[in-house]
Amino acid sequence: MLEKGKISSAQMAFMLFAAVVGTVILSIPAISGTYAKNDVWISPIWASFAGLIAIMTAYKLQSFYPKLTIIQYAARILGPFPGKLLGLAYLLFYIVMNGHGVRIYADFIVGTTLPRTPLIILVATMILLCTLAVRGGIEGIGRAAQIIVPGYMIAFIALILLILPNCNAEHLFPILEHGLTPSLQGSIPPQGWFAEFFLISFLLPFLSDKKKAKKWSWVALITTTLTLVVTNLVILCLFGRNISSYTYPLLTATRYISLADFFENVESVITAIWVIGNFVKFSVVHYALVLGTAQWLNLSDYRPVAWPIGILTIIISFWSMPSQMALSHYTTFVFPFYSLLFQTLIPALLLLIAYIRMRDSKGDHSS
Amino acid sequence: MRNLHRLLGQSKKPYFRSVQQPSRAATTSPLSNDQQTNVETLRKIYSNSVDVVFRSFLIGGKTQATLIYIEGLSDTEEINTNLLRPLMEEFEEGLSLRQLFEKKVNISKIDALSTYEDCVEALSVGKPVLFHEGDSSGYALGLNRWDKRAIEEPEAEAGIRGPREGFTETISVSTAQLRRIIKSPALKIEPVKIGSYTQTQVLISYVEGIVDKNILEEVRTRLSRIEIDGVLESSYVEEMIEDNPFSPFPQVKTTERPDTACNAILEGRVAILTEGTPFVLIVPTTLFSLLQSQEDYYQRFLISTLIRWLRYTFVTLSMLLPSLYVAILTFHLEMVPTSLLITMSASRESVPFPALVEALLMEVTFEVLREAGVRLPKQVGAAVSIVGALVIGQAAVQAGIVSAPMVIVVAITGIASFMVPRYNIGIAFRILRFPVMFLAGALGLLGIMLGLIAILIHLCNLRSFGIPYLSPIAPFRSADLKDVAMRAPWWMMNTRPHQTEEEFNQYRQAPAQKPGPDRNK
Amino acid sequence: MKHKALIVGRIAALLGILQMLCGCWDRTEINDMALVTAAAIDKDERDGIELSLQVFMPRALGSNSGGSQGGGGQKLTLVRSSRGQNIADAVSKIQTKLPRKVFWGHCKVFVLGEEFARKGVREEMDFLARHPQPRERAYMFVSKGKAIETLNLLPPLERYSADMMRKLSELKIGLKVTMKDFIIMLGGDSKAAALPMLDILPPEEGEQPSQGVPYIAGTAVFKEDKLIGDITLQTTRGVLWLTKKMEKATITVRPKDAKSGFITINPNHHVIHQTPRIVNGKWQVLLSIQTSGDLVQNGTNWDPMNLDLLHAMEAAVQDSIKDKIELALDEVQKTMKADILGFAEDFHRSYPRQWGRVKNRWDEVYPTIQVKTDIHVNIRRPGLSTVPVAIPEDEVKKK
Repeated sequence: MLEKGKISSAQMAFMLFAAVVGTVILSIPAISGTYAKNDVWISPIWASFAGLIAIMTAYKLQSFYPKLTIIQYAARILGPFPGKLLGLAYLLFYIVMNGHGVRIYADFIVGTTLPRTPLIILVATMILLCTLAVRGGIEGIGRAAQIIVPGYMIAFIALILLILPNCNAEHLFPILEHGLTPSLQGSIPPQGWFAEFFLISFLLPFLSDKKKAKKWSWVALITTTLTLVVTNLVILCLFGRNISSYTYPLLTATRYISLADFFENVESVITAIWVIGNFVKFSVVHYALVLGTAQWLNLSDYRPVAWPIGILTIIISFWSMPSQMALSHYTTFVFPFYSLLFQTLIPALLLLIAYIRMRDSKGDHSS
Repeated sequence: MRNLHRLLGQSKKPYFRSVQQPSRAATTSPLSNDQQTNVETLRKIYSNSVDVVFRSFLIGGKTQATLIYIEGLSDTEEINTNLLRPLMEEFEEGLSLRQLFEKKVNISKIDALSTYEDCVEALSVGKPVLFHEGDSSGYALGLNRWDKRAIEEPEAEAGIRGPREGFTETISVSTAQLRRIIKSPALKIEPVKIGSYTQTQVLISYVEGIVDKNILEEVRTRLSRIEIDGVLESSYVEEMIEDNPFSPFPQVKTTERPDTACNAILEGRVAILTEGTPFVLIVPTTLFSLLQSQEDYYQRFLISTLIRWLRYTFVTLSMLLPSLYVAILTFHLEMVPTSLLITMSASRESVPFPALVEALLMEVTFEVLREAGVRLPKQVGAAVSIVGALVIGQAAVQAGIVSAPMVIVVAITGIASFMVPRYNIGIAFRILRFPVMFLAGALGLLGIMLGLIAILIHLCNLRSFGIPYLSPIAPFRSADLKDVAMRAPWWMMNTRPHQTEEEFNQYRQAPAQKPGPDRNK
Repeated sequence: MKHKALIVGRIAALLGILQMLCGCWDRTEINDMALVTAAAIDKDERDGIELSLQVFMPRALGSNSGGSQGGGGQKLTLVRSSRGQNIADAVSKIQTKLPRKVFWGHCKVFVLGEEFARKGVREEMDFLARHPQPRERAYMFVSKGKAIETLNLLPPLERYSADMMRKLSELKIGLKVTMKDFIIMLGGDSKAAALPMLDILPPEEGEQPSQGVPYIAGTAVFKEDKLIGDITLQTTRGVLWLTKKMEKATITVRPKDAKSGFITINPNHHVIHQTPRIVNGKWQVLLSIQTSGDLVQNGTNWDPMNLDLLHAMEAAVQDSIKDKIELALDEVQKTMKADILGFAEDFHRSYPRQWGRVKNRWDEVYPTIQVKTDIHVNIRRPGLSTVPVAIPEDEVKKK
């Protein structure tokens, strides 16, 4: 096996939480709010079903092929050539996803706090750190997540508590003014992120306590959903139904915090904490990518590919998107469908094929 | 065989041969029956050494004998009164030396030696060696005594409450101190010799049944791998057995207090005592155990818990405060409350340097003063600290070279870094302050965060003898939090801390010992 | 081991490169910053605007450091103004007259000139919302006359006039509107907004002309994004009751049956409910106010310890509040027809369907909305005296 380290189920849950919440939390109220308006807080609940499906399929596939990742069992299920082809597609999907993620991060920083800092510096430092983390192995990432994510959550709760005094619950009403449709429409972009729970398929083989895995992945899913619901609720109560007019509603909300006229304008702190959460996200995806590549190429160690793939990610983050507007358009209209295709639909199909194969082979044995 | 090679300062390894000692004699061989040959061989081994004394005399006025000892290492008075006088007296015939020892010589410890190697070893620790005509063995007499420092209170690890004694340079005193605290025979003290010339005695000390066997085995192998000329301090050993030599963080805890060492041993760690230094190494070590002081266990637990939290906070501050100052003042001005910013901008108005340079200047000055304060003789030290306080404080501000807020920041940082009970971990954080400061100067708070992430990655991957450095936080062990996130009272600390996944001797005391007035009812 | 050394080397190299490059990025020393404490926007003679910035001068404070900071009348700020097509344009022009970089992060006060506000403010609000530096929590004002005059003042009690305006706003005597609130109001269903109106109290005789004091004189009413008029401070009190923003009040009334004198109470705890209703096709707003406070001054000869007289006092206060509310409704709802009371939002929330139908003709519906009030005043404590002070006991009316 390529990876000798082991992580605990709790560490896995922290990694998944960061991987999904990481980038999305800043812009989700605006993205969902475009459609959902007053019902923006309902959208993450619908979207969480995508996460549910992703986790379920990953589990089922895992039970058929324990100790293998999707890159490996795709080849087992579909046969060597189509399997490798699908594996390649997955790697491309994830590297593009990570490239765009890093770009979102860098655009955010440049757009809000460091307007004159070159993008390449932000992207490169982040990827450098991720690569260092990946070279340390899954144990290091797991431990980092275990330290970072609880801090992230505490900061999040503190942030919500600080915004709360400025909130006005009246903004919630009327609930479901136009029926369920707006909230369902608003749930499509977040579904793309929730589907990222499929990253679990890269972590499951390395669990030291597989028995608790299920429990902890539900914990991760529920916490993620709750976090996004609470974010949307608070933002809605603060800004009213026109939240989509803000690029980063959560950031604007933190700018509004004031405690005793002294603790003010703390958005830089929030940004810093958000960055550290993002680091976990990018590391997890980068790890999946590096491990997957090594498995795809049948290498004996995955560490040597960490740098090259990091550099590729940097390049991809610059390639595709001319502007933040284009990136936003991509994340709202294109990415969810890609993400759902790769992280729920194809795994489900794989599962179906695997199931049929399994049944057939069993039938052969009995006859 | 192995020891012999070391004795002559040579190694089995070929590249080591170029530094062989010239006086290479056939020491492998056993002692000869002829005491003259034995003495001559030893003379050859100890050629050009004035401090080695060869004293020939006649036992009972008849039998030829030679006493060899090293001046200053053996008790000459004892030799005169208890060895030479009784032996040189006339006595009845036919007594063998063994019988003589039984009847005449009142020395508590006498060992028979059979090879030259043994003789050299006995001599080098100060035991006089006696050769006797017609006997193929030499005798090492337990008359070693040399001047040693008295047991004193360790200055670098002083405390308000707790035992006042510290280890000394004499290893036998140190082991005695350990043994005085842990009386159970389960306390084991294994010897290793390190240093081909210094022949330093290094002792592995642990409690059998509590210590993790794998870690103990790891300690033994790592120590036995060391091939080095000399060990002058335990840091030589430390550097040769670390997991990651490039890390700024110490992976070995050092202490000069027997109670700290015993506490670690009772927690299942291994203490490594080195001859010639009061500093004992403790492995495996985690970050949090380095941030703890033994006195935490001696004060009331509520107070200790608060002090630990304070310590964690200020350790972080000692690393981040100057960087935060730089980041906020050059990138995030909006974070400073308006009225404070107005005062600060007024005080920085005449400062010619950018905030980063100002911070670097002051921090470096502080480090210099601190280092100078340690090195200077006590009488001069006071003068330096006065000049330092005046120069980096009052005068620099009044001259408009630095701003007053910066002086406050430096002062807090300096004080905060001494909150850590251990010098080596405190200095690790202090050094990391500088790269983080550069990052803060380049990218503001984001830079600080990136720096912190880099440090975190390093810490997450760092191990001490296979134990994750950040345990029990990551990997998380809730049972061990009671001695990390807080300092639980002793009646709650029922389980021993443990870092590996192995089975271990889990309970250290009976449960439910919470005291109270109605416990006995 | 080898690769770790490499990593350390790489990080060191990166740090070095970062440091070499950082000079040209976002690092700005505080000495190179012009801290804007307040900004004023006026209309210029042509189509554009005139932007004035009040900038803090650190040197002024540094010169007498150690002593009292600033003190009355000493000039800590300077005002620079420039014309331009919009704020961004004007800022760039001001920048040519300032050696330091304009920094908006501590600008807590924005004053809009009256004429400028009449022309429409939306265009300039966009700059404030889009630029990352100006704070959403900054307070917005409209000034009578030119806004730049409020910046030029040197109020004796505070360090600079922006500080004064901010503190006045925080006292919540008039409206307290932050930039975020204003933007939400402008974009809301009501299509109307209100800002506190500043006026300048002329200086006392013998004082410098710049030693006038800005004070909150009332409320400026915006419809769409244009100023259409203003209401007095008295009317503003009614608006505060109607919009549930009342916090501190001092109500002085003469009870009807009292021979002479006034009573004053200080209500400090309010429970206000505003319930929109549609009854038989008629749109109503039910305003229920429960307020309680202490008796502050009693100029009548009534003994407040007598419960009957106490109730009479309470009734008088209730009438006073009701009068204020009616005054506000009269001016704002009937005359100006600007929905700064937020009725549109209320109906949207409670009756989304019905509201959807009148959405486009809200201007016609709004003035017809009936407001029913239900006010309960509770005088909780008499203060430190029971009977009226300093009158003979037999003149005190106890029944």
